[in-house]
Amino acid sequence: MTIYESDLPGVGKKHEVELDDGSRLVIVTHNSGRREVFRRESADSDSERLFELDDKLARQVGTLLEGAYFQPVQSTTIETLLGDSTLIEWVEVGADTEVAGQTLAESNLRQVTGASVIAIQRGDEVIPSPGGDATLEAGDTLVVIGPREACRNFAELVTEG
Amino acid sequence: MAAALLEFGYLFVVVALTGAAALRLGLSVIPLYVVGGVAAGPYVAGRLGVPYIADGEVIALLAELGIVLLLFFLGLEFSLDRLRASGSKIGRAGVIDLGVNLPLGISIGLGLGWSLVEALLLGGIVYISSSAIVTKTLIDLGWIADPESEPILGTLVFEDLAIAVYLAVVTSLVLGGEGGFMAVGRSLAIAFGFLGLLFVAVRYGTRLFARVLDIGNQEAFVLRVLAVVVPVSGAALALGVSEAVAAFFVGMGFSTSGHRERIEDLLIPVRDVFAAVFFVWIGLGTDPALLVAAVVPLTLAVVLTTPAKVISGYFGGRTYGLSAHRSLRVGVGLVPRGEFSLVIAALAASGTTPVMREVIPAFAVGYVFVMSALGTVLMQRSDLVERLVLRDESAGVEENGTE
Repeated sequence: MTIYESDLPGVGKKHEVELDDGSRLVIVTHNSGRREVFRRESADSDSERLFELDDKLARQVGTLLEGAYFQPVQSTTIETLLGDSTLIEWVEVGADTEVAGQTLAESNLRQVTGASVIAIQRGDEVIPSPGGDATLEAGDTLVVIGPREACRNFAELVTEG
Repeated sequence: MAAALLEFGYLFVVVALTGAAALRLGLSVIPLYVVGGVAAGPYVAGRLGVPYIADGEVIALLAELGIVLLLFFLGLEFSLDRLRASGSKIGRAGVIDLGVNLPLGISIGLGLGWSLVEALLLGGIVYISSSAIVTKTLIDLGWIADPESEPILGTLVFEDLAIAVYLAVVTSLVLGGEGGFMAVGRSLAIAFGFLGLLFVAVRYGTRLFARVLDIGNQEAFVLRVLAVVVPVSGAALALGVSEAVAAFFVGMGFSTSGHRERIEDLLIPVRDVFAAVFFVWIGLGTDPALLVAAVVPLTLAVVLTTPAKVISGYFGGRTYGLSAHRSLRVGVGLVPRGEFSLVIAALAASGTTPVMREVIPAFAVGYVFVMSALGTVLMQRSDLVERLVLRDESAGVEENGTE
């Protein structure tokens, strides 16, 4: 995906987003905060105005598009993308799982899945950079970093056992 | 006092009514404010024996503030760094625009037997496109999202810079014009000395500007901006230097202070009030009978400068790598003339010869009226223009469009 940005002196800024079908989404952000959204079918056709939003509404619609209120893919976990394939994920330790009660070293999670635990959240308490002797308890939230596939395996193992 | 206040109230009624009419008709407010001024002024309403607005000193002063604020905002939105960043493309399109239209206007003036200064004034009036009308029409028609908006707006930025230099020179020529070569030389030296110092001050005084405006209180903020712009412009004019260019430079200084958006939010309504007074005032001073005297230059200018602007814009669009069909739109999009042509007309009106005092202002009013309407209509019906001009090409085919 490519995004083109250009200045519109006296008006604001223009961003063009290439869509999968070869058309472009054109977003004009006025200095007043108003956003106008256009779609341009192909390079030589004229842009067609789709809709326009004031600043506040644009931000609200923006957070909806971002998925802050609703994650359509995985509803039980929150994830943040670092670069193209590395994720930070929050995973809750399930009650009937093997790892509940084990130390990090005993669980051998990093060797098995490839994802590392960078913090443990237990109620209000946070254990940052936990060592191998830190124990995992049912109900803990583990903050995990790793490649996408590793994070998925990790989540399966820890939440379902 | 009571009479003056009543007259002023009358002026705002005219502005409100013509503004409403413009909104209803989907036209730019600028030409209609001017027409409102002509109708309510001494030459029409006055001759009909109905109450009219006299072209008095108070209104002239407030109109002057309108000019100062218009140019201040131009400077505020102008950025040398941006011009440098997008540099050569804007430069090339802007130079083509300047190189075609200014000399053409000067030639028309000389061809009419006018003096060089008079011809220079005419050149400026026909050269400068209207940022206000062009930008509004780009947004209304949705061209703002298409590639042609970049060369159009880029050319307008270049014109802003060109008009600052132009006003600095021509103001000195008009105001110092009587005393011969030495006097002109001296007033030019004063102008460039003053503006040069001001330029250095705004270029390196960013921190000072930022500190002046670092205040939460809205009222104090607005007053501080005015307390810098108005006295600096006044000092310029007192020295015979263009007050408009001084205001432009102060605007440039404020644009890098980090307060640009707040100034825009809070002062645009102030600017709009005084700019409206300025447009009405231009109308007040226009005797429609003088339009008859200006009909020859007017016809010549409309017939010659419309295609010239389209052609220069077309080549400007080409330097941006746009197709023939989009480049043509760049030309059409630059046709409307407006506020800055009227600013030049106001300068001409303070001149010494009958051509400057009477013919050029009347010409400018007629020219802006025709070109603002013609330009907007051409933009709205650009499909017809494209079909007419690019007959041999099937409309809408992109040749080498690079975006």
